[in-house]
Amino acid sequence: MQDLQTKPNGPVAAAFVAAGVGALVLGIFVVLNEVSTDISNFLKFDANYGLGSGVGPLSGKAILATIAFFGSWLGLGLWVRAKEVNFGRWFAVSLVLVLAGFALTFPPIFEFIVELFPAAE
Amino acid sequence: MEFTDRELWTVLHGLGLGTLFLLAFGGGLAGLYSLSSRLVTPEGVAERTPRLLIGSWAMAIVAWLTVISGTFIAYPWYRATPPEGIDRTVQSPELLDYPRYWLLASDRTAEWHRLGMEWKEHVAWIAPFLATAVAFAVLYYGAQLVRRGEIRRAAIIFFTLAFVAAGVAGLFGAFITKAAPVA
Repeated sequence: MQDLQTKPNGPVAAAFVAAGVGALVLGIFVVLNEVSTDISNFLKFDANYGLGSGVGPLSGKAILATIAFFGSWLGLGLWVRAKEVNFGRWFAVSLVLVLAGFALTFPPIFEFIVELFPAAE
Repeated sequence: MEFTDRELWTVLHGLGLGTLFLLAFGGGLAGLYSLSSRLVTPEGVAERTPRLLIGSWAMAIVAWLTVISGTFIAYPWYRATPPEGIDRTVQSPELLDYPRYWLLASDRTAEWHRLGMEWKEHVAWIAPFLATAVAFAVLYYGAQLVRRGEIRRAAIIFFTLAFVAAGVAGLFGAFITKAAPVA
């Protein structure tokens, strides 16, 4: 229900979901880095684009997750900037995304997922 | 008594920024929790809001500085590859300059890398995303946050998750540095 005494909650809901998107993208690239040598080489942004030195694939994972965070925040923010959204639902989505991101960065979980791919190294 | 450049950077990354993060989290969490019309008067809300704004943004900025300094300054020293000629299967004094390989050289210490460092280096990056979202909510609503209970509660949850992410990273960082210091 809209609280007429305050600003619309859309921009804040967008920020929360964007944090979840950043966390999930990070987790996905953690898994992909282990699954594919090609992706692992692509994620070496330090060697490929000069962003850092000696960081390895972590440079790509961190930078892409950060771009996903700010990019999705911008996109979602523009979409709902003047809207009052169902914050409980948006927050539930953001929480699921964040927890998925946490899970995918946990080594026993991402190693289990990697084992499901026969071609994984 | 002296510090190497690497020791100074790791102290700044872990102890300096880590302590600031902890302080900002404590202040921010207390501020968010108490910013309720049941607990404070309108004057109290007006008095607390600037402090909450500073605390939440301090936590977000410190979280960014910590992950950037950790990833792009300290982490390359940790994962540096030893030159040919140094046996990577024995925890020799020469291998100690290459912490990742030193830890992996023994079954007794390998899990500090395989579990500890592998989790730490990734999960830490979730903290600035969460802390920035909370800081934005505080900036956007300011004193109006007192009338937005659902957002205040969500902010408390995200703030706590940011602390958990940073806490996991900080704890493993301290243990790993004890087992194989970057020096």
